[in-house]
Amino acid sequence: MYTKPDKPAEDMDAAVCGDACGTMPACAPLAVPYVPFQQKEPKKYDHTEALENGTLFPGLNLPFHLKAKAANVPMTPLSELQALEFVLVELGLYLDTHQDDAQAMELYRQYAALEKEGRARYEAAYGPITQAATAQSKSWAWLKDPWPWNYQEGGDK
Amino acid sequence: MFIYEKKLQYPVRIKNCDPKLASVIISQYGGPDGELGASLRYLSQRYAMPYPELKGLLTDIGTEELGHLEMIGAIVHQLTRKLTDEQARTAGFDTYFVDRTTGVYPTAASGFPYSAASMAVKGDVIADLTEDLAAEQKARVTYDNILRLSDDPDVNDVIRFLREREVVHFQRFGEAIALAKDKMDQKNVYYVNPAFDK
Repeated sequence: MYTKPDKPAEDMDAAVCGDACGTMPACAPLAVPYVPFQQKEPKKYDHTEALENGTLFPGLNLPFHLKAKAANVPMTPLSELQALEFVLVELGLYLDTHQDDAQAMELYRQYAALEKEGRARYEAAYGPITQAATAQSKSWAWLKDPWPWNYQEGGDK
Repeated sequence: MFIYEKKLQYPVRIKNCDPKLASVIISQYGGPDGELGASLRYLSQRYAMPYPELKGLLTDIGTEELGHLEMIGAIVHQLTRKLTDEQARTAGFDTYFVDRTTGVYPTAASGFPYSAASMAVKGDVIADLTEDLAAEQKARVTYDNILRLSDDPDVNDVIRFLREREVVHFQRFGEAIALAKDKMDQKNVYYVNPAFDK
C-alpha cells in the first residue's frame, strides 16, 4: 500500500539517501522507465573484495538470500590479476555513464598501471595471455596447458 | 575486432562431478536468458545506437557477456569431466549425453537449442534499452533459481558473481536510458526515433 511521505521529497533525499541510493530527476517525462542514477564518487571495495563480491561498489552489492556471503577467492598470481582486471571492467562501465567523475577516472589510471605490471609479471612466470605476447617466449608457448577451462585440482596456478 | 585472453574473468575451480547440476546450468549457456543471447543482443543492438555512451556501454557489456559465456562453459565442462558410465545415466543428463556426450552445446535446460528468437534488436533507443533492462532481470532470476537447485559451494561462488553482474548491468542500462533521454525531445521522447529519423 502506498503511504504518503511526511516530508517533501527534497528533504527526504538529504535525510535517507546513502551510498545505496541514487538520484532521480525532480521532474521527469511520463511513460519512460527510470532507474536512479548512481551518485558520483560512490564507495568502493579494494580489488580483491570487488572480485569476491562481483562488484566494485558496496551500494550495488545486492545478493540473493541463498548465497548472501561473498566468495572467498584464494589469492594466486592468476586471481590477483583477475581482480585487477575486474576493477578495470567495472570502472569502465561506470565511466561509460559517469564520464565527468574525475575521481573514478583517476582510479582507472591507477588500476590500469597496476594491471600492466601484474600482467607482465604473470606472463613472465606462466606464459602468454594473448597470442601476441607469445613473441616474448622462446618457443610457441601459446599452446601450453592449462587452458582456462582446464582447472586441475592441485595443478593450478 | 576481438582478441582472445587466455584466462577467465573469475576463477572456475569445481572439484566434484555433478551431471545433474550441469544439465540445468547449461541453460545459461544457450537458454532463453543465457549469456550467448545476452552478448549477441548487446553486440547487435549497438549498430543502431546514435549516441557514444550507448555504443560504448553496449560494446563493453556485450564483451563482458562473452566472458561469462566462457565461464558457464567451464562450469559445465568441469561438472561433467571424469564422468563414469553410471553417472552418464543420471536422469536429466542422459538425454543431453546421448546427443552431445560431454561436449558443451548451446541449449536451454529443456533441450531446446539456442534460438535467436529469445532476444531482440528493435533498432529504437528506448525499446532496445528497455529490452536490456528486462533481459538482465530474467538472467538474474535464472541465477537465483540455479542457487535454489545447487548445493555445490564451488559452483555457487561463481553463480553469485555472475548474478551480481546482472544487477550492475541493470543499473548501467537504466542510467543509459536517462543519458539518452536527455538528448531526445524533452517534451516527447517518442516524437522521433533518433536511431532512424535523422
